Amino acid sequence: MPYLSLLIFVPVLAALIALVIPTRYTRAFPWLTLAATVLQLFIFIAMATHFNPADGLQLSEKKSWISVSLSNWGHLQADYFVAVDGLSFPLVGLSVVIMLIATISSWSVSKSRKGYFILLLILNAAIIGSFCALDFLLFYVFFEFMLLPMFFLIGIWGGPKREYASIKFFLYTLLGSIFILIVMVGLYLSVQPPESSNQVHTFNVLHMQNQENFIPGSVLDATGSGTWRLWAFAILFIGFAIKLPAVPFHTWLPDAHVEAPTAISVILAALLLKIGGYGILRFVYPVFPDGAVYFSDWVAGIGVVSIIYGALNALASKDLKRLIAYSSVSHMGFVLLGIASATTEGIAGAVYQMVSHGIISAMLFLIAGVLYDRTNDRLIENYSGLALPMKHYTAFVLIAFFASLGLPGFSGFIGEVLIFFGAFQSHTLNNLVPFWMPLVATLGLLLGAGYYLWTIQRMFFGPFAIKTMHTELNDLTPREYSMLLPLAILAFLFGILPQLLLNYINPFAENFIGLWFSLGLNANP
Amino acid sequence: MREVISHYGSHLALIIPEVILVIAICVSLFLGLFIKKNKSTLLWFVTGTALLTAFGFIILTWPQKPQEIFAGTLRVDDFSAFFRLLFLTGGFLTLFISLQKESATEYVILIQAIVLGSCLLAMSMHFATVLVSLELVSLSGYVLAGFAFNKQSSEGSMKYFLMGTVATACLVYGVSLIYGISGTLYFSTTQFVDALIASSSALILIAAVLILAALLFKISAVPFHLWAPDVYQSSPTPVVAFLSVVPKLAGIALFIKIVLAFNLFGQAAIDWRMVIAAFSITSIVVGNLSALAQTNPKRMLAYSSIAQAGFLMAGVATLDLAGIRATLLYAAVFLLMNLLTFTALYFFEKWKPLPAMSDFAGLGRVAFIPSLALVIGLIALTGLPPTAGFTAKLLVFSSLWNAWADSGLTLILILFIVGLINTVIALYFYLKIPYYLFLKETPAGTASIKISITGNLLLLILVVVIIWLFLNPGLLMGWINRITFVL
Repeated sequence: MPYLSLLIFVPVLAALIALVIPTRYTRAFPWLTLAATVLQLFIFIAMATHFNPADGLQLSEKKSWISVSLSNWGHLQADYFVAVDGLSFPLVGLSVVIMLIATISSWSVSKSRKGYFILLLILNAAIIGSFCALDFLLFYVFFEFMLLPMFFLIGIWGGPKREYASIKFFLYTLLGSIFILIVMVGLYLSVQPPESSNQVHTFNVLHMQNQENFIPGSVLDATGSGTWRLWAFAILFIGFAIKLPAVPFHTWLPDAHVEAPTAISVILAALLLKIGGYGILRFVYPVFPDGAVYFSDWVAGIGVVSIIYGALNALASKDLKRLIAYSSVSHMGFVLLGIASATTEGIAGAVYQMVSHGIISAMLFLIAGVLYDRTNDRLIENYSGLALPMKHYTAFVLIAFFASLGLPGFSGFIGEVLIFFGAFQSHTLNNLVPFWMPLVATLGLLLGAGYYLWTIQRMFFGPFAIKTMHTELNDLTPREYSMLLPLAILAFLFGILPQLLLNYINPFAENFIGLWFSLGLNANP
Repeated sequence: MREVISHYGSHLALIIPEVILVIAICVSLFLGLFIKKNKSTLLWFVTGTALLTAFGFIILTWPQKPQEIFAGTLRVDDFSAFFRLLFLTGGFLTLFISLQKESATEYVILIQAIVLGSCLLAMSMHFATVLVSLELVSLSGYVLAGFAFNKQSSEGSMKYFLMGTVATACLVYGVSLIYGISGTLYFSTTQFVDALIASSSALILIAAVLILAALLFKISAVPFHLWAPDVYQSSPTPVVAFLSVVPKLAGIALFIKIVLAFNLFGQAAIDWRMVIAAFSITSIVVGNLSALAQTNPKRMLAYSSIAQAGFLMAGVATLDLAGIRATLLYAAVFLLMNLLTFTALYFFEKWKPLPAMSDFAGLGRVAFIPSLALVIGLIALTGLPPTAGFTAKLLVFSSLWNAWADSGLTLILILFIVGLINTVIALYFYLKIPYYLFLKETPAGTASIKISITGNLLLLILVVVIIWLFLNPGLLMGWINRITFVL
C-alpha cells in the first residue's frame, strides 16, 4: 500500500470534493474535513503496523517527476520520492493527530466556511508532504505550498491586526525559503548519483548526504577548499532557523500567533515550527557536517539565546497568546541546543522535544482559544480566580502549563533532560558545545517555571474577577474536552513511557551520529 | 525570370505564416471599408482564423530545418519558430479578450501588424530587415498605445513615440558604425565576425551599446524604461497586455541574436556577460523597488514588467546554451502569466474602473474566478510554486549558478543572489492585489460582477496551463532542447 501517498493525497481529494459542494451547505465542509482527517488517522495506524524502526528509511515511493535535459551541463532529475524514518515517522503521526484536533477546533468558524476548510485541507497535505519528501525540490514545493493557505487563513479569519500579521508571516517565511532555494540550486548542480554517467543532477537528499556524490571541482564539492560549503551551511541554516524560529529571526511568530484563529495557531505552533527543526536535521546537518562542526558553537549559542530571550519575553507578556508564543521560541531553542551537541542523546532529545512541544503547544493554544471564545479578551491582567467558575478548564491549564515547564511525568521533561544530557556530554565527547552553554540554558527552565506559575497565580487563583463579561463563563464543552483530553493523555503517556517514542527516534539518532563518525568529523580539536 | 520566381516562391513557402498575416491584414483593410462599425464579427473571424492558421502551420512544420531565405536576410529555424508561436499566441489571446472594441478595423490591423513585425524580427539576419520589422512593430505600437482616445492615452502614446524614435535613431547610428567597420550588414556571417575581431576598435563598443540601447528600450529594461509606466497606465488594458508581451519578447529574441553576434564566439574585446548581468541587475532592482510604491495596479505591473525584463535577460547573461534555453522557457511562461494577469485585470476593469489597488477591496467574494486567476497570475510572476513561473525561474537561476561555477564571475553570483532576494521584495507588491481582493471586507452594496462564460473559461484554461507546466515542464523543455544556436 502506498501509505504515504494516501496520507498526502486524501486531503487533496477532500479539498477537490469541497470545491464542488455548493457554498450554501455550510455544515458539509467541517464534516468532510473531519472525515478526511479521521481517515488519515486510520491510514497512519495501518502504516504504523508496517513500520519497523530498526530499518531506517522505509515505505518509500519513488516516481520520476521532472526529467529534463539541461543541454551542455547535464540533466535535471527530480522525483516524487517519499519515505519515512525514525525522524519523520513521529512527526507525521503528530501532524495527523494535530490536524484532526485543529479540524475539531475549527467547528466554531462561521465566516466563509468553504474557503476555510479547503485551505485547511491543502495545508494538511503540504505539511505531511514536507515531512515525507526526500527529494529536495519536492520538499521545497510542499514547503512553499504551505505559505499561501497560511497567508489567507491568518489574513481572512484572524484577529484585529490580521492583515499586518499575515503579510509579515508571508514575507519572513518566503525570505527563509529563498535562502533554502539558493542552497538547493547550488546543491543539485553539485551532486550526481553514483551510478550515473552523463551528469545527472539530482535533487535526491540521500545522494546529497553522501559526500562522495559531489562532482569533483563543483562549488560545493566536499573535498574542495570548503569556504563555499560553510556559506551554504550558514544560508541553509538561517533559512530553516526563520521557520523554527530562532532569535533573532523570530519576530514574525508572536504577531502571527496572536492574530491567527485558534486552530491555525495550533497548527503553526505544533507543526509548522517543527518543519524548521526537521529541515535542520534532515538537510542542513547531514548534507553539511563540516559546516555543522565549524558553526556548532554558533548553533548552540543561538539556541541558548532563544531559550533565555524567549523566556524573558514570555515573562513580560501581557497577552496570554503572546506569552505562549514566546514560550514556543524558548522551547524550540532547546531543539537547537540538542542538535548542536551532535550526540545521540542530544539528537534524540531534539526530536523528542519537537514531538512533545507539538503536543503541549497545541494544548496551550487551545486553552487560550477556549478563554478567548468566551470573553474576547486575552489580557492576563483582566482575569483572576478563574479556577472558581471553570474547574475542569483550570485542571487542563495546570496540566498544560506543568507539562510545558518540564515537570517530570510529562513529555516535556524527557525531551529537555535528553537534550541536557547531550549538551553537557558534548563538552567531553566532541567538544562542540562549550560547557557553559547548557549551564546558562538551565536558567531557561527556571524562567519557564517563573512565567507559568506567575500566570497561574494571576489568572486562576485568588478571588474571582473579570474585566469584561461577554457571555456566561461556562466550563469546557464536550467539543473542547475532545480536543484537550487526547493531548493531555499523549503528553502524560510520553512522559511516563518514553520508550514509546524513543523506540522510533533512537535508531534514527544512532544512525545520524554514526554517519558523522564514519566521516571522521567528530574529532574536532 | 521564371527561375527567380520559383526560387523566391520556394522561399515564400517557408514563411507561409507571415504571408497569411499579410493577406489577413489586406482583407481586414478591405472589409473595414464595407462593414458597419458595430457589426465586425466577420473581421474578428478572419483575423482569428489567420492567426490560428499561421500557428498551426508552424506547429506542422516543426522541427524546422535551418534555412536562409531571401538572400540571407531572413532565417527560418526552430529558434524563430518558437518565438513566432509565442507572438501568434499573444496576438490571438489579445484579440480574443478585446472582442467588443470600437474601431475594430484599425485595432485588428495594428495587432496583426505587430505580430507580423515581431515574427520577421525573430527571423532577421540582416540589419536592414531588423530595422524595417522593428519599425513595423514600433509604429503600430505607438498608435495602439493611444487607443483609449483620451488625454492620458495620447500623452502615453506621445511619450512612447518620442522615446521610441530616439531608440530607433540610436539603432540606425549604431548600425551605420558597424557597417563602416565590418563592411556588412549581415550580423551572423563570418565576414562580420572576422572584421570585428580584426578591427578591435573602440568604435565597436560604442556601436554595440547604441544597438543594445534600442533593444533595451523595446524590452523596457533600465535605464531605457521610463516610457513604460505612463504607457501601461494610460493605454487600454488589452493593449497593455499585448504590448507587455509580444514586442517585449520580440525584443528579447533579437537581443539574444545580436548579443550572440557581438560576442564573436567569445573573442570579443569586452565580456558581454558582465554587461548583460549589470543591466539585468539594475532592471530587477529598479523595477522591483519602484513597484513597491505604486498604488495604481497597471503602473505597478509596468514596473513589474521592467523587473521581468531583468529576469528575461538574466539567462542570456550566461551566454551559454543552457542559459538561453532557460530564457526561452521563461519567455513562454512570461507570455502566459502576464496575459493571464492582464486579462483578469481587464475583466475587473470592464466592470468598473479601478484606478487604485484599494478599489479591489473585497471583490474576491463577488468575482471568484477572475480573482483566483489574478492571484495565480501574480504568484506566477513572483515565481512561487505551484506555477510554471517557479520552474522557469528555477532553470534560469540554475543556469546562472552554473555559469558562475564555470567562469567565477562575481557579477553573475551577484545577479543570482539579487534576483532571488528580489523575489521577496516582489512578493510584497504582487501580494497587494490578493490582499485587497480577499483580506479586506466587501464594501456594502457591491453587486456581483458578471463575466461571460467564455471569459471565465479562458482564465481557467490559462491557470490550468500555468499549473500544468509546473507539474510537467518536460514537454515544453523537450521542444526547447531541440533548438540549436550558434554561440
